[in-house]
Amino acid sequence: MSTASEPAAAGHAATEPSAAPQAGAVKLTMILSGAVFALMMVFGLIMRAAQGQWIELDPALFYQILTAHGAGMVGTAALSGAAILWYFSGRHVVLTAGIYWAFLGLFLLGVVLILGAIFVGGYGGAWTFLFPLPALSGGAWEAGAAAAFMLGYVSIGVGFLLYYLELGRQIHARYGSLARALGWNLILGREDKNPPPPTIVAAAAVTIFNSIGIILGAAVLVASLVHLLVPGFEVDALLAKNLIYFFGHVFINASIYMAVTAVYEILPEYTGRPWKSNRLFAIAWNAVLIFVMAVYWHHLLQDVVMPPWMLVVGQLVSYFSGIPLIAVTAFSTFLYVRGSKMTWDLASSLLVLSVAGWSVGSIPASIDGMISVNKVMHNTMWVPGHFHTYLLLGEVAMAFGFMAWLVRGKTISQMGGLDRAAFATYLAGAAGFVTVFLFSGAASIPRRWAVHYEEWLTHDRIGTLFSVLVVLGTLIFVLRFVARLGRSEG
Amino acid sequence: MRMICLALLAFAEAVALREAAVASPVQHVLVQMPLLVLAGFMAAWDLKIPRGWAVPLLLAALTVFLFWMLPRNVDWALSPAGETAKYITLPLLLGLPLRLSWPWLGPILRGFLKANALSMLGVLGFLYTHAPVRICNSYLVSAQHDLGFAFLYLAAALACLWAIPVLFGHPRRGPLGAAGCSRCGA
Repeated sequence: MSTASEPAAAGHAATEPSAAPQAGAVKLTMILSGAVFALMMVFGLIMRAAQGQWIELDPALFYQILTAHGAGMVGTAALSGAAILWYFSGRHVVLTAGIYWAFLGLFLLGVVLILGAIFVGGYGGAWTFLFPLPALSGGAWEAGAAAAFMLGYVSIGVGFLLYYLELGRQIHARYGSLARALGWNLILGREDKNPPPPTIVAAAAVTIFNSIGIILGAAVLVASLVHLLVPGFEVDALLAKNLIYFFGHVFINASIYMAVTAVYEILPEYTGRPWKSNRLFAIAWNAVLIFVMAVYWHHLLQDVVMPPWMLVVGQLVSYFSGIPLIAVTAFSTFLYVRGSKMTWDLASSLLVLSVAGWSVGSIPASIDGMISVNKVMHNTMWVPGHFHTYLLLGEVAMAFGFMAWLVRGKTISQMGGLDRAAFATYLAGAAGFVTVFLFSGAASIPRRWAVHYEEWLTHDRIGTLFSVLVVLGTLIFVLRFVARLGRSEG
Repeated sequence: MRMICLALLAFAEAVALREAAVASPVQHVLVQMPLLVLAGFMAAWDLKIPRGWAVPLLLAALTVFLFWMLPRNVDWALSPAGETAKYITLPLLLGLPLRLSWPWLGPILRGFLKANALSMLGVLGFLYTHAPVRICNSYLVSAQHDLGFAFLYLAAALACLWAIPVLFGHPRRGPLGAAGCSRCGA
């Protein structure tokens, strides 16, 4: 095993990593991400308002919007997370700009195919494309629309594969092996004069598990495409569901694990305490690498034909998977911030909020990961409650914090009135919005229903009001970012 | 010269497996056909081409590969005409151009081709294990299932083979430059 302690980049000095690698491409990505986040939130607002019967929405259109909202949010979370990871990895390894542009181009091609499939072809089978739903539309859409949707995913997957191949290649080139980049020397107590920084540990872990997810996702996508075009070819539904949820779970989790590098790299500027890798940190990320792939069975707790041991593992790993996050990232953030006399501007506030939101979001997730709870809660609003906590108060807040930092300028100053108002609006809106979802879940209101009973409307309408606040806060964040694009990052 | 001998040996081995290929699709698709590709690969081991030829040769190799991935062509390969085509095209139009183009391919493209190979082996495993019909008329449904599982085992083995050097570093090669590993494509 080549986990030597010397820097492994023979001939690496010719092209050293720069302080602001490919900032233009990353800024463009964040403009696109911010705009799509805002649009997808408006879609969410429309759906909540329609469920609350404040506006009329044809159910067929509701499911199309639901599909666009799900695919758009997951895709944009991944896109923004990828931009953040690329930016900060570029401080430690030399990354090829052409690969990033190819990744972005394939991603946008995928977006065009997906939007065309939904709003031209009428596809409304949800972002999970669960077999055999894309082929069983009941006349709502043609096979071509479902095929275009899945080809859009394939295009995005190929883009991400190129991204991870480049990232993995350069990490391998600099550190000699991914094991060393994962901090195995730290774990095993070996001397390492150039240990991988937190961003590289995170990048190595995400590169491994998301590449595996993408390869398996591509297999089930192509098999589903073959079934769409030649219906005689069946796909085993349970195997397909396993592969889809492995891919989907890993992919959305990867978006947060990529974006958290913003916390590792930016917060030290505020606290004055560098965030370094240590043994516990490396153990936590290696545990994440295993847990994120082993926990997906908690999505299949209602599939009674699954082998029982898999479901038990799904439940147990659901408990365990919160530990590395809370014990290391959240606890470390608390320690770094505590007593540091840091200045609370928009970037630092959003980044600390994101770690708190991510940690809080793991609680309803673990509760739903219990088999006995999942039996009654899985198809309720509880589930969107937990993943909206992860995303709105976690990954999206990380992305907005990174955007605020990108245009902060060289000096750190306290939040102004508008920033304070935008932050408070976003926080109040997001916290209220996810709390309503969780209460609705506890009240057994089902998820993914276009039309709601009279008794549920109060929940929907309160949720709609909170979502207006989220959209408002988001619009200010995005417009503020665009208006300050000329400024350099911190 | 040694490589030419190995190429001839691989080709002779493939011809010797003629009866076995008729009996079992696993031996046909996963032993005989790869041996023919290997024969072409070995025959071109010491040859060099200009960089500009790499992409056309790669495209030619991939086209032939796609052709022989189709189940009906696996059936056809057992007929006299198909068998002749198989013995000619797999070494000369797949193995040989793949070997000639490979040194010119960048590490990202190599990695992509490997990842794509793993995904497609998974798809083939999917189809051969669950297809409700006989995909190849020349073989039994049970043999078809065996082939599907063999695809999955092969995918797992190749994933380990390609991932382990990247994960742990190559034991004999030491640190790598920024260009990455020229052999493994990492």
